[in-house]
Amino acid sequence: MSDKIQDVISSKIDAIKSGQNVYAVGKVVRVSNYILEVAGLEDGFYFERVYIGDKAEGYITHIGKSSVTIELVKRVAAVFVGDEVTSSGKLFSAMVSTDFVGHIVDIFGEDKFTGNKFKDLVEIPAVPTNIPIMDRTTVNRPLYTGISGIDLMYPIGRGQRQLILGDKKTGKTQMGLDAIANQRGQDVVCIYVALGKTKKTVKEVYNELLNRGAMEYTIIYAAFQEDCAPMMYITPQVALSLATQFMARGSDVLVVIDDLTQHANVYREISLLAGKVPGRDAFPPDIFFAHASMLELGCQHKDGGSITILPIVETRGGDITDYVVTNIISITDGQIVTSTKFFEKGQKPAINFGLSVSRLGGQVQIPSMKKLGTSVRRELLSYLETKEIFELANIDEMSVEMRTKLLMGKEMLERMKQYRFSPLDPDGMVERFKEFAENEI
Amino acid sequence: MSNVNEKKIGKIISISNLNVQMLLDHSEVSLRSGLCTYIGDRRVSFEVAQIAGGIAKAIPLTSVNGLKKGMDVYLLPKGIEIEYSDNILGKVFNSYGQLIDGQTIESPSTRNIYDKNLTLSEIDINGAVLWTGIKALDFFAPMQKGYKMGMLGGAGVGKTVLIKELINNVYRGWGSNSVFAGIGERSREGKELYDEMMESGLMDKLAVVFGQMGESSMARSRAAYSGLTLAEYLRDERNQDVLLFIDNIYRFVQANAEISAEIGNMPIESGYSTTLLSDVSEIEERINSTDNGSITSFQAVFIPADDITDMAVNTIMSHLDGQVVLSRKVAEKGIYPAVDVFNTTSKLLTVEGVGERHFRLAERAVAALARYQELEEVVAVLGIDELSEEDTNIFYRARKLRNYFSQPFFVSEQFTGIPGVFVKIEDVLDDVEAILTGEYDSVDESHFLFVGKIPEIKQTAIY
Repeated sequence: MSDKIQDVISSKIDAIKSGQNVYAVGKVVRVSNYILEVAGLEDGFYFERVYIGDKAEGYITHIGKSSVTIELVKRVAAVFVGDEVTSSGKLFSAMVSTDFVGHIVDIFGEDKFTGNKFKDLVEIPAVPTNIPIMDRTTVNRPLYTGISGIDLMYPIGRGQRQLILGDKKTGKTQMGLDAIANQRGQDVVCIYVALGKTKKTVKEVYNELLNRGAMEYTIIYAAFQEDCAPMMYITPQVALSLATQFMARGSDVLVVIDDLTQHANVYREISLLAGKVPGRDAFPPDIFFAHASMLELGCQHKDGGSITILPIVETRGGDITDYVVTNIISITDGQIVTSTKFFEKGQKPAINFGLSVSRLGGQVQIPSMKKLGTSVRRELLSYLETKEIFELANIDEMSVEMRTKLLMGKEMLERMKQYRFSPLDPDGMVERFKEFAENEI
Repeated sequence: MSNVNEKKIGKIISISNLNVQMLLDHSEVSLRSGLCTYIGDRRVSFEVAQIAGGIAKAIPLTSVNGLKKGMDVYLLPKGIEIEYSDNILGKVFNSYGQLIDGQTIESPSTRNIYDKNLTLSEIDINGAVLWTGIKALDFFAPMQKGYKMGMLGGAGVGKTVLIKELINNVYRGWGSNSVFAGIGERSREGKELYDEMMESGLMDKLAVVFGQMGESSMARSRAAYSGLTLAEYLRDERNQDVLLFIDNIYRFVQANAEISAEIGNMPIESGYSTTLLSDVSEIEERINSTDNGSITSFQAVFIPADDITDMAVNTIMSHLDGQVVLSRKVAEKGIYPAVDVFNTTSKLLTVEGVGERHFRLAERAVAALARYQELEEVVAVLGIDELSEEDTNIFYRARKLRNYFSQPFFVSEQFTGIPGVFVKIEDVLDDVEAILTGEYDSVDESHFLFVGKIPEIKQTAIY
């Protein structure tokens, strides 16, 4: 140990002799996966970007009395104790380019296909600032996904945060992609954020969107499992930071985050490795804020632009009352819950109509859709509930009223079926469901 | 950089997200003192949370990005303060008492947000009954002036809608000055509430504090104290009966848990702050009525992970005079407000409080609904035909009762497409009695869904 201290001291003296700024350099004294403890770096400030030679880069997350903690975002080679750390004098930021559209990119401004950096990179804050409450205004312009179970029943507006929630393999990502593909010609910039997905999956998503011409207005942000956890943690924030730039210019943006469960798990991992006090289910105590501060960026700005966010969250065994899940439900403006039962029965998109909610409802629908949607939703929910209770009853012995209701409900459910990437426009939906509007009591 | 009446008192020695430590060279610093430092022109303020020897742990009020070790720290002449005058009405403040609606107050007169505490003798516990016009609330959890009523529910079961309906029914009807404290909830909803109030010309009697969910832990925690101070002004200086709407008091506890963990305090179960009990009581004990005036509060309480036995929820519950619990099971059936009648109660629901008839009817209604729950399982297995005549009656009547307690809200017309209704308690009592005695046995249950009082149902039934 004394050797090490001796080392640190002598290297400082060397640095002074050679005229370097000793306060801007430090030495790694502890490596715990992607978290480093660094001695020196006296002049470092909170969230400053630092480099470990050309091996790695990260940011300062804690400044202690005698050392500084660093989280690595990018690591090309292994970092060892004794490696030199230099500070940059700047806050950690992300690089973006106007050429991003149509590509799979990362927060450093690298094209993930070629591995090259884009030209004309511009710096933007890695962590976007909150949008003041008084700069927000009413969300009332529709954003069509082309799925009647959503647009008619639980509509999404520009500036809304609508959660897509459900078990594995129930078509959550597909709904997000459907929504992106349906923005063709709608003047919406789309950002798809892939967190911890396999490379194969990301490439498939890219191809699906490319084949439908959706890459013309879409950016895919990717952080893979092999990247450092902080990279996965910060990528959605960077994507949203970019979205706020678009919004400031008056554009409408749609951000699909796939998925926040990964994000929560990664944040838990970082926080536990950094030795922080764990809270419920071992998640960091500020896990709610970590999600809220991102999702609150979704809004309709008073100056015209908007950010719509569709975060995806995975449940286990259909349990939507899990801690992180209920947190996110309480942040978003509604949720589309997918149902394994429906998915297995071929009722696709497998929307669990009873559990899904839109807190904005008719506010974001055009009058014809609002009127029809209200009655379809009421009838369908009432049918699903009644069906459950009277599962065993003989349909022939029921009151006429009840029998009509059951038959009508069944038909309605049938018409909710839609194959992937086969969107309907509002007129198409009104056409398909119009007869149910007349059955209103 | 620093202002003349800010005195340099020490230097920063350590920094993390919500915890900045300073080495003090003065002893004038006390708990909850305001401190600040400067990054260029940007001022970062702190509040002292702990002092150990010459080292103070302080919580930053905003982001710490850019803070360095060795920066000078100054003592602010005052801690967190908020306006304490008639000027609060019609204004929107942030958690730290600053106006955020573009308005200004000339010659401000402020007060520290932590000052007040009430003694046992000051607290007044009498008050008149207060009807909300919401069937399920008035019937199962009647409210009295000066009460604290909690709206408990998991995520997305309709707490905020209920609070908004209460603002609509009670605040508009009462015409008294009110305070709305938005703590850790959606900014969109906060702004929409403000816009609606402006549009309908109701902002002039309302003071608003926002510390919403996108803001730092400290902002969310302090919004509660700031909101309270505004309500206390109206009660103590203006001798008024004040309505205080808090959406959502759980977020206050949650923000404190975040701060507590960062300061390095050991957490209690589920990661809540060590001082959970005293934190909640510090707030709740200030919400009381005195001889001068009353504070009637409606508080939304989030139930994390749908776990009603949660420590924080239970701590808050122990301060409430009444509670309305909203349940996911009911919401799933499309019945709003999704009131879980079995957990919804009020201290007022006694023979002395609401009278013999109301009390007995409430008992009968709960009993019928409890029996229905049991029968539901039997029916799911054996079918309805296997029930005895008495049970069959209970089964159908309870379903009608359940539907009857749904209600079209004024504030949710855009979802339901049905105009809202204010229902008088006398009508509710008549209707419940009629359903329970079987007067409506021949009417289909769907006619009871989303209506006001029953005469309207008869008309639609004939139609």
